Amino acid sequence: MISRRDFIKSIAVMGAATFLSLYKSDLVSALREVKDYWHICWLNGAGCTGCSVSFAQAADPDLAEILTSITVGTSGLPIALPDWMYVVHPASGSLAVEFIEDWIKYRKGQKILVVEGAIQKEGFCETGGRDFREWVKEASQAADYIVAFGSCSAFGGIPHANGNPTGAMGVQDFLKEVGLNNIAMNVINLPRCPGHPDSLTLTLASLMLGVVPELDNYNRPLMFYGKNIHSEYCPFRPFFERLEFSKFGQSESGCRFKIGCKGPIAWADCSSRKWNNRTAFCIDVGAPCIACSEPEFPDGKTAPFFVELPEVVITPPPATTVKPVEVTPLPIETLRAIGIAGLIIAAAGGAAAIYTSRRRRSRELEKEAKGEV
Amino acid sequence: MPKIKVDPISRIEGHLNIECRIESVPELKGEYFVKECKAAVTMFRGFEVFLIGRDPRDALLFTPRVCGVCPNPHSIASAMALDDAFGAIPPPAAILIRNIEEAAYYIYDHMIHFYLLIGPELAVLMGPEYGAPILPPVLGREGIAKGIGSHYVKCIEMQRRANEVVALWGGKFPHVTNYYPGGVLVQPTPERIAQSLANLVPVWEFVALTMIEDVKKLLYANERLKEVTETVLGVRVGLENIGECNGNFLSFGMLPRVEDYESDWLDTSKRNNSVFKAGAWFNGARHPLDENRITEDAKYSFYDVPDGLHPWDGRTVPMPNKPGAYAWTKAPRYDGKVFEVGPLARMLNTFGAKWKIPRIHPITGDDYGVFEYEVRNPKGSVLDRVVARAANALICANMVFEFLRELAKLYSEGKTQNINDKPIPKEAKGRGLWEAPRGALSHWIKIKDYKISHYQLVVPGTWNWSPRDSKGNPGPGETAIQCGTTWIPRLTVPEIANALYPGWGDLVAKALTTLNMKYSGLNLEKTERGEIVNATIPLLIVRSFDPCLACGVHIISPENKTYTFKLN
Repeated sequence: MISRRDFIKSIAVMGAATFLSLYKSDLVSALREVKDYWHICWLNGAGCTGCSVSFAQAADPDLAEILTSITVGTSGLPIALPDWMYVVHPASGSLAVEFIEDWIKYRKGQKILVVEGAIQKEGFCETGGRDFREWVKEASQAADYIVAFGSCSAFGGIPHANGNPTGAMGVQDFLKEVGLNNIAMNVINLPRCPGHPDSLTLTLASLMLGVVPELDNYNRPLMFYGKNIHSEYCPFRPFFERLEFSKFGQSESGCRFKIGCKGPIAWADCSSRKWNNRTAFCIDVGAPCIACSEPEFPDGKTAPFFVELPEVVITPPPATTVKPVEVTPLPIETLRAIGIAGLIIAAAGGAAAIYTSRRRRSRELEKEAKGEV
Repeated sequence: MPKIKVDPISRIEGHLNIECRIESVPELKGEYFVKECKAAVTMFRGFEVFLIGRDPRDALLFTPRVCGVCPNPHSIASAMALDDAFGAIPPPAAILIRNIEEAAYYIYDHMIHFYLLIGPELAVLMGPEYGAPILPPVLGREGIAKGIGSHYVKCIEMQRRANEVVALWGGKFPHVTNYYPGGVLVQPTPERIAQSLANLVPVWEFVALTMIEDVKKLLYANERLKEVTETVLGVRVGLENIGECNGNFLSFGMLPRVEDYESDWLDTSKRNNSVFKAGAWFNGARHPLDENRITEDAKYSFYDVPDGLHPWDGRTVPMPNKPGAYAWTKAPRYDGKVFEVGPLARMLNTFGAKWKIPRIHPITGDDYGVFEYEVRNPKGSVLDRVVARAANALICANMVFEFLRELAKLYSEGKTQNINDKPIPKEAKGRGLWEAPRGALSHWIKIKDYKISHYQLVVPGTWNWSPRDSKGNPGPGETAIQCGTTWIPRLTVPEIANALYPGWGDLVAKALTTLNMKYSGLNLEKTERGEIVNATIPLLIVRSFDPCLACGVHIISPENKTYTFKLN
């Protein structure tokens, strides 16, 4: 058994992301300490349901564990069973609408809204007799935290592609459009296509434990999006240094740069965390990275997918100040109360609670500079 | 005639609502039955627009994102369309790798449908002994220990294991990245083959020994259902009498064999030797597929295009508030007729109406007996669709081991070429016909100046959930709901369960209301007269098709013009 002291040391040495991925099973016990029922509402807009399916691929804890083991105290009630999530929910029709409305009406304090899929112009997506825009607008105002899971709800994703006839956009942009700037600022974006189940499980767990993860300028938690795929994580990087490149139809071995790999412009932890219970990630199977974690996906520099980048320029990190993980000293009783894993989360947040007010984004500034606003 | 509307519908992919006119039938004790049904898909994104002008290979990564539940069939359909356009025939190892990935993917898909999507309804009908393991784990760990939700939970683990094999070859699931015109980007390695075998053994065991047994129990419980309906309605109504369509079934075939890929598979009018055959089943027999007979009508769809266009000429110019239109899906027809697609269509076209599927353990060789079934309703039904889906999963679970062994053999012979790489053609066209779990899927691409100039998808969501066509014939889903036996009881779900098995409904009610008291009103809808009725059976029929509708709706706008309009 690893001691608590070792835990804390390890966080400092390994970094929060690696640490969380190694010890995330402990989340289960940590979450048992959370006393009250958290209400989660999962809304689906212009998406493909791939993020829900991706969430079902979660491992350690897997979806079944999340649904059953993580219970409120000793009540046996599952803490994270969403009040509404249409992919697995028993209810349809008017009862389903009632569940969403009830969630909106609950008092604030423990409500998380998860959005999957983009938000379009009026008339393109309707559910429960109302336009999806109205649901998101109302639910966002009722939520304590908003998590945009997957590239569509984070940045618009595939439906947002050039030529897009429906005006699809991410939750943040939508909220700004309807004048809810303050709420938009606090949306936590978990892009990638589909969203990675770990990013959601860990983010929800953090929030339930009262810690907002530290975010970058695109509101992505640094613990998942803080490093560059090409320069910091890729196992094929040595091939790049030796100028050994893979080629279509000849060799799977070598750096994927020449077949269009967008690793140099992608910020995500795919190569260390991998996918589907640590099985593989895109580059592992001879394919190029398509930078699905980036706001410009699937256009800008990310496309065409199989054409090499004009130059290898590692884009500057999306956060201007990447803080090292800081461990906030907590009294021993508190440690016992929230359990070891709770501490991990707290640490992972990087004293985020303290810095929440300071973490602000320069995205608007960037946009203004580009004349996009 | 009273009317009910169910919107939204959970446990399906996509945004669908149904509107049913119901009438009281005096011969059936005055109970309500659905007289007319209209199904409407209520979300659309505009995929074909943003494909125009892109690198043709980008379709490989765009089109899976049409649907996150069935991304793999889109990957392979677009890969085959590009194979066709590029003139690149995949080498044997690539064909096998594609098959392995698709077969593993199919197991996941059919499994989650049986347990997670339609399972809760089936569980209620199956009673305490058989149904409890299929229920969601609403009573948590304690409940699972008592058997409530044990198979449901196991399914979550097993679908994940199956998808790990997909990810092993495809990089990740959903949305694999390893497909490429003329083959796959991933190479066969002994490690990948060995890990796939190791991962799939428990998956095979779950499909063959748990899921198939649960299906057998469903068949048994269905007899009990008929006894109860005889008491309540005066006629025997089982799941084989519910959700009947017209007896036309279309399949494009899937999982080709390596040895006759060119002679049998690439000619879509043959596809006689693939694991699932292509064909049009009507008048109780399979007829060769003729892809020229595929057309789409748009009379009742929000599009301003002529009826009867082939996908090569297909266009999708939206026309909001078009008089008489009520759906975002077009109406694909084969030979001008309504055809149902899906697992039952695959099984009928491949094996006819009687199936015998072996259950021999892929590693130990133990024989667990043949799974036999004879189609109960030649026009299709909830029961036949559910059983066909399980049979499909078993066939895929058996075949994936065969493909892995073939691939290991190729590897040992040094035949590891994974792509037949061809340059992007300046001008070409190609089509890829495959089977998504939900049914026949086709991609049609035209390339001009090395870029995509035309892309059409005709997907199972449009086949099964099409609105009425130019002749006024309703689509398969609508037909199935208004087939005459769709009973709309005035009883609640727990009351139905109690009628089937005394005391069972109380347990179901307890499980449901532990989470939220309002669950006692599960599936109840109000007619506009304020009468409360139970919509479980139409929902059961909807789910028996395993609808997947994100892909059903796509739009093309030649001038890249932005449209704004409201859904009716």
